[in-house]
Amino acid sequence: MTTVNLQYYAQLREQAGTGGEQLSTGAATLRELYDELRSRHGFLLSSDALKVAVNAQFSDWNRALREGDTVVFIPPVAGG
Amino acid sequence: MNSFRLSVVPVDLVPLREALQHPGSGGFCSFEGWVRNTNEGREVSGLEYEAYAELALVEGERIIAEAIARYGVLATHCVHRTGDLVIGDLAVWVGVSAAHRDEAFRACRYIIDEIKHRLPIWKKEHYLSGDTAWVACSHIERAHEHESPAADADHGHAHHHDAPVAASAPAFSPDYSRQTRLRDVGDAGQAKLAAARVLVIGAGGLGCPVLSYLAGAGVGTLGIVDGDVLDASNLHRQTIYDARDIGQCKVELAARRIAALNPAVAVHTWAQPLHAGNVAEVFAQFDLVVECTDDMRSRYLSNDAAVLTGTPLILASVYQYEGQLQVVSAKPGEPCLRCLWPDEPAPGVAGSCVESGVLGPVPGVLGTMQAIEALKILLDLPRPVEPALLLVDLLDVGIQRLPIDASRGCARHGGCAAVAQRALAQAQRDCDVDLIFDSLDDAIAAGYRLVDVREPDEIAAQPLDAPSCCMPSAQVAVQAGELPSGRLLLVCAGGRRSAHAARELRGQGMREVYSLAGGVLALRSSCDRLPATTRSRSAS
Repeated sequence: MTTVNLQYYAQLREQAGTGGEQLSTGAATLRELYDELRSRHGFLLSSDALKVAVNAQFSDWNRALREGDTVVFIPPVAGG
Repeated sequence: MNSFRLSVVPVDLVPLREALQHPGSGGFCSFEGWVRNTNEGREVSGLEYEAYAELALVEGERIIAEAIARYGVLATHCVHRTGDLVIGDLAVWVGVSAAHRDEAFRACRYIIDEIKHRLPIWKKEHYLSGDTAWVACSHIERAHEHESPAADADHGHAHHHDAPVAASAPAFSPDYSRQTRLRDVGDAGQAKLAAARVLVIGAGGLGCPVLSYLAGAGVGTLGIVDGDVLDASNLHRQTIYDARDIGQCKVELAARRIAALNPAVAVHTWAQPLHAGNVAEVFAQFDLVVECTDDMRSRYLSNDAAVLTGTPLILASVYQYEGQLQVVSAKPGEPCLRCLWPDEPAPGVAGSCVESGVLGPVPGVLGTMQAIEALKILLDLPRPVEPALLLVDLLDVGIQRLPIDASRGCARHGGCAAVAQRALAQAQRDCDVDLIFDSLDDAIAAGYRLVDVREPDEIAAQPLDAPSCCMPSAQVAVQAGELPSGRLLLVCAGGRRSAHAARELRGQGMREVYSLAGGVLALRSSCDRLPATTRSRSAS
């Protein structure tokens, strides 16, 4: 299991009901992690519609998770 | 009875008031000007009005005609006294009858202000001290100059407000000393700002602070693009507008606000959103573009035009308590919006203020940040060289800066310019998707079958007053086979979901599918209902 810190923005924050959380996960990659979170929180957006950043750098969805990673999911927002 | 007259004898108001009674009138408003006992500190015993009657009558009738055209009132009458009057006498009377009180109040105010301002009537005041003086009956300020009556008949073209303030306003000389005192600004920086041309797309929650700060800073030319009229729900975040502005075109309101704030700024307005056919041409007229809409389509269009014309673009958007900001430098090799999110998300995927809500100051903060970025670019102030997406979280009060690696974005699809070129070409092919109709009956008469793509609760709240079939926008692409045959006009509330669905259907090979531009809202746009006389005034 890997322990990661998660941050949610915009719709994801709203759907998760929190701006962030710490999670122990069996997911190996960011994509697997997001799939797990989708079923856990009922996220409506697919990963295609999102950007993901790890430790303040945009990242590839296939990147392997490492202990202590801070992962941020960023949907596009349109309000003005 | 719509008329203006002069009277040398006291006026009987009863028949005047009765003459304005009309079965369609729901409101009557009158104004009476009386002779008072002091003027500018001197005690007055009475006065004498003298008019250049021929001109006063013609001009008075003209003012009344303008008020009728401008406010759509049913009937008005005005009478102005001449000759000798004593304290308490009625000097001028204006009566207006209208369907609703708002028009009645506004028209009444308009008429009295214009009469005081324009009519060749002078008064000779008799003072208690025995002497007399002629006093011009003019006022410097007219209330309606601060409200916008104005919509443009020709939405597709820019309107120029190079000298939009009233000619009677006192000369104003801007004082930029508080910013020129900054060592990095100085007179040289101020000259750069004066020479700068900045386009602000969207005069809403983000656009209000951008426009205010850039006008205040003395940016020489500001362009404003916005196709909306002001709604009461805008006022909690769109701070340059007033409650009395509701229903009026934002570009006109914003242009007037800028003129009031800094008359030295030249303002050009576009009262319709830019489209694939004109966006590059418009961008080429500016040094910098600030994208402040709540519309994903506009953001992608702006991105593509910025890349293709090499115009720097400052993007921002907000969601509830947070926002995003990205500066697209539009230099070769630097990342653009599509480097992050390659394709425009479907409507509904990216949250909007309407659906998700927003706290008023959130766009205020992000718009203010856009204004700072704009000034930094124009003044060549120090700023991070590394392109990044800024995430601004105003609940936790944190800003996260995520560097964007250009090599992982559009570079993998031929580069930003090639991607933008393809996207703009596609948008141009889809340009004819949007059709403008004044009413749904017109569309049906023109041979279109209506498809209402709003959600069931929206349809229940406001059904279309014309025959249509219903299919929510998200279903249209997957259930295309169930749509009626023939030429289709998709309809939604604001025209975005219907346009997106229409483009999806075209992508499936259906050619004769269109979208009602502006949606149901546009069918009753007050912009389009203003009389022609009002429109022509607005461009002056």
